[in-house]
Amino acid sequence: MDAVTYPDQKVSEFINSNVIPLRVPSDQKPISVDFNVQWTPALVILDQNGKEHHRTVGFMGTGELIPSILLGIGNAHFDNGQFQEAIDCYAKIINQYPESDSVQEAIFQTGVSRYKSTHNPMPLKEAYEKLNAEYPSGQWAKRAYPYRLI
Amino acid sequence: METKIKWETGLTKALERAKEEGKPVFLDFFNPQ
Repeated sequence: MDAVTYPDQKVSEFINSNVIPLRVPSDQKPISVDFNVQWTPALVILDQNGKEHHRTVGFMGTGELIPSILLGIGNAHFDNGQFQEAIDCYAKIINQYPESDSVQEAIFQTGVSRYKSTHNPMPLKEAYEKLNAEYPSGQWAKRAYPYRLI
Repeated sequence: METKIKWETGLTKALERAKEEGKPVFLDFFNPQ
């Protein structure tokens, strides 16, 4: 991450603008115990109260880190019931990082967020149809499979 | 010119900034060896 990802201009500007970056050695106690860190890099998104909402483990390249952080920010909004803010984050992933590994979860979460904010189940079906059309063998198409019946 | 990430090194200060600036925290546990 230090050699490739963090020096990237787009990555560093995104991080400085959108999150508070915090770096801690994985053996520092008690925080590494509190977060049950077993392998590095462990990349965690916390809300303003310190509650965890998203975690990845392992190296992330320049093309994956920004959408992964956006997914974490979106999931923090989602977990706090801020569905439109979550949808906005997921839309950035879908529109700006369509080749990233985060996009399938973003599509799924968009459907769920739209459902939870409107109680209209059709966005769930739309999420399944998009996932099944574009990523038929992906895990998120499988998770959305029941929504085909809506 | 390269922009460097302005890392915090303590959770308390990071959460203070998170509340002040209305942003989440991106916490990177790295291998120190």
